[in-house]
Amino acid sequence: MGILLFITVLLIAACGLIYELIAGTLASYLLGDSVLQFSTIIGCYLFAMGIGSALSRYIHRGLAYRFVWIELMLGVVGGFSSALLFLAFAYTQGFQLLMYALVVVIGVLVGLEIPILMRIVKERYQFRDVVAHVLTFDYLGALGASLLFPILLVPRLGLVRSALLFGLVNVAVALWSTFLFRKQLPSTRALRLLCIVIICFLGVGMLQAKRITAAAEDNIYADEIIFARDTRYQHIVLTRFKDDIRLFLNSHLQFSSRDEYRYHEALIHPGLSAVPAPRRVLVLGGGDGLAVREILKYPQVESVTLVDLDPEMTRLFSTHPMLTGLNQKSFLSPKVHIINADAFPWVDANTDSFDFIVIDFPDPTNYSLGKLYTTAFYKAASRHLSAQGLMVVQSTSPMFARDSYWCIVETLKQAGLKTYPYHVYVPSFGEWGFVIASTHEYTPPTLLPAGLRFVSVDGLSSMFQFPPDMSPMAMPPNRLNDQVLVRAYDQDWKDISH
Amino acid sequence: MRISRRKFLQSGSAALIGLSVKGDRPITGGFVNDSFAVGHKLRDRAAFPIAKKFEKRTVVIVGGGIAGLSAAWRLQKRSFTDFVLLEMNEQPGGNSRWGENEITAYPWAAHYVPVPGRKATYVRELFEDIGVLKDGVWDERFLCFTPQERLFLYGRWQEGIEPAIGLNEGDRDQFRRLEEQIHKFRASGGFTIPMEPGLSREHADLDQIPFSDWLCSQRMDSRILDWYMNYCCRDDYGSLASETSAWAGIHYFASREPEEKGPLTWPEGNGWIVKRLLERVGTFVRSGKMVHRITRKGNRFSIFAGETEYQAEFVIFAAPTFLAPYVIEGFAPVHDFEYSTWLTANLTLQRLPNNYGSDLTWDNVVMNSPTLGYVDAMHQSLQSHVERTVWTFYWALAEGQPASNRELLLEKDWGYWKESILRDLERVHPDIRQCVSRIDVMRFGHAMARPKPGAIFHEQRRKLAALDGPLLFANSDLSGFSIFEEAQYRGVRAAEKVLRDLGDQKAEVA
Repeated sequence: MGILLFITVLLIAACGLIYELIAGTLASYLLGDSVLQFSTIIGCYLFAMGIGSALSRYIHRGLAYRFVWIELMLGVVGGFSSALLFLAFAYTQGFQLLMYALVVVIGVLVGLEIPILMRIVKERYQFRDVVAHVLTFDYLGALGASLLFPILLVPRLGLVRSALLFGLVNVAVALWSTFLFRKQLPSTRALRLLCIVIICFLGVGMLQAKRITAAAEDNIYADEIIFARDTRYQHIVLTRFKDDIRLFLNSHLQFSSRDEYRYHEALIHPGLSAVPAPRRVLVLGGGDGLAVREILKYPQVESVTLVDLDPEMTRLFSTHPMLTGLNQKSFLSPKVHIINADAFPWVDANTDSFDFIVIDFPDPTNYSLGKLYTTAFYKAASRHLSAQGLMVVQSTSPMFARDSYWCIVETLKQAGLKTYPYHVYVPSFGEWGFVIASTHEYTPPTLLPAGLRFVSVDGLSSMFQFPPDMSPMAMPPNRLNDQVLVRAYDQDWKDISH
Repeated sequence: MRISRRKFLQSGSAALIGLSVKGDRPITGGFVNDSFAVGHKLRDRAAFPIAKKFEKRTVVIVGGGIAGLSAAWRLQKRSFTDFVLLEMNEQPGGNSRWGENEITAYPWAAHYVPVPGRKATYVRELFEDIGVLKDGVWDERFLCFTPQERLFLYGRWQEGIEPAIGLNEGDRDQFRRLEEQIHKFRASGGFTIPMEPGLSREHADLDQIPFSDWLCSQRMDSRILDWYMNYCCRDDYGSLASETSAWAGIHYFASREPEEKGPLTWPEGNGWIVKRLLERVGTFVRSGKMVHRITRKGNRFSIFAGETEYQAEFVIFAAPTFLAPYVIEGFAPVHDFEYSTWLTANLTLQRLPNNYGSDLTWDNVVMNSPTLGYVDAMHQSLQSHVERTVWTFYWALAEGQPASNRELLLEKDWGYWKESILRDLERVHPDIRQCVSRIDVMRFGHAMARPKPGAIFHEQRRKLAALDGPLLFANSDLSGFSIFEEAQYRGVRAAEKVLRDLGDQKAEVA
């Protein structure tokens, strides 16, 4: 009997620690600041154990009976703790209150366990052996749990099922105790029946755990993160929610697969369709291959040169099946040449000429990116335009960043180019602006590639009209030595968020 | 997948190195471009070799800094080619010398030129020649990119170097009044660049008192204004406001009327201009040739450099003027030219330190540091993404006497200066030691003229600057302070005087 008893100690110690770890992990996941979460949870938990131990002196009779009950209660409260917390976070405001309440309840119950157990067995052993053995197995259990938790439980079972599993362990201990301590128990039948019922409950919980987490996560996360990587140049995050894939670079949304066709069709076709016989195309930025996908709709295009800084980005969009599905494997086309280089020095050093140049950089959120929106840059880029060539520039939002948008238009003008500003509505971005720039007159195309979902010949003229709330603003040009654009952009977004 | 033993060992040692970089990087470097050993030979009247070769030229230019190179530029531009330029150092450029490593080119001293105003016609002409000014428009790529400057004060960075945060009403009032005064001085037309054409007796009194006295007399004594005024004097003159002529202190502010947001700058600083000048006049330049003696017999000068004797009708002495008594036979000592002691260092950074949300700028200054801060050589790069860079660290040893500072400069070893520089930078970049892999230090015993009170309206200065006779002085120290525009002005003027005299000679012959 001795060894069985001490295995019981080991198991209950493990259960207690697992609940504590689950609470700490969940709070860190959901609220962040893991140091704060773990510290306060461990503190509350240990303090509650102390309360439990103190309370144990008020239990005088029926020790074995009460021990079984404590195990059952722990099984239920601990087992469902994780699921309850997930749902509470998703649907209520009281996550933290519930979490600390659960931690205290579990702590009190765990605090009661060991003193009661020691008193049950004290007649059979000498006091010093009881203390030594019980505490030894208590700590062993803690060690086992703390190793099991990160290595097996979290990755294999997840937090909800881990809690339920250890709830089952608690109830199993209760059931087992009815055999172990049957001499001290008045009647065992009712207790055993109760154990079975609770085991069934927890078992159902185990089977339904996926649905519980799904129900909770639907409410917690906008999307599931399917890829995240810090490259030398940026932080790339891909999220998916149902069929919507989103790309974030340094936390800025780059596209949503639900409506990116609007953005990319608008970026490419009004310009490229207006170039007679385009053969050579240059894309600066655009490492997602979506602009290239649109460009490849023109069979007369013989080569597409794409210059993007980050090789990880272009590799990701050449290989990830979900993403090559989006860009229709555009990077794998033999016409496409990918160059991973810093755009401004590349444009400066290269001497090729192109019939269509797409400038699709991230928004000018800092002075480094701002260099790519200057008169100097546009002058350098326009030297690559062939006689019939056109250039198109992604130019932020004329609605939310009106000053910035018209500043880009002015900058292109000061670079000696004729400008043709236009805008479209992209649901995930809002109103978005582009500028076609060239050394000659531009006339919108009368023929577009077949199968476009958004840009149409009839709709083109409205894209070039700006309602009063987006109409031109008098802005100075953005120059290398006076980057007014970055300041304007910063101010534009400040104005929106206040 | 099989891993070869070599590969395994490599990755194993890489892991060990990975453990060791938790500490500071080892920092290499040393003193570079030391020239005082050669210079002190002149001072100590050491024996020089006897001339074995002989060369005859109409004009010899002594000194290949901006003044000498500008004289050469003007002669060459006027199709006059019978001249040589003798430079003591292996690398011409003087205070505009530069260095280069695998990351970028970087300056050793002068690193910018303010966008010249309309009056600086020679500078404008030069910039048109070398493609900086085209059809009245300054090339954007040579203007300092945004963000230009920042100042660290009260535990954070602010934009611009003039203190703008933590000012009380009194401080603001003083800055405002100073600006009004400066505006008046500017409007008076007496403070110009180049300085000579504008110089007016009307402001001679200002030259007699220290700048700090003038500020006091104007009730401008705010602590923060005082710091800024001292910073400006140290930056341009290498001296404190209390040792700077009030005329020069005012000139710093009143002389500039930028027509474009500048200044003009390049990764290698004014070394970029030197490169362009050398493309034009490099064939006339003999570097590593220290002139140790100049004698005059009748209308002919003999200029001795190394083992060559050059004979010339005209000498343009573009080297620092304090050298003249040591080189030119029978030349009276010059006592009234004083020079500041400088130390510059180029730091190679393998990564950028944490800037805590502030953008690294071109010029970065820390309030209440004895140094002048640092300039980022990669600032003018067109790249959007910069990982490694070189910082040029500037330190004018302004406190104390120049002579004792010169001693200090020679006495302390490289390790002393390395530590001083790192400790100064650590105040604002706690992780600097993990970024820097190399620190090269250059010591300037006589970096630039110090415009002490009385220096501007001094008789000796005016006499030497007058350009009469066949021995013409052209160094910027003749302006009382050393800036690019003054050096270039004096070099070009000296060349024009020579050309005029030669023209007159021809006319006489005809």
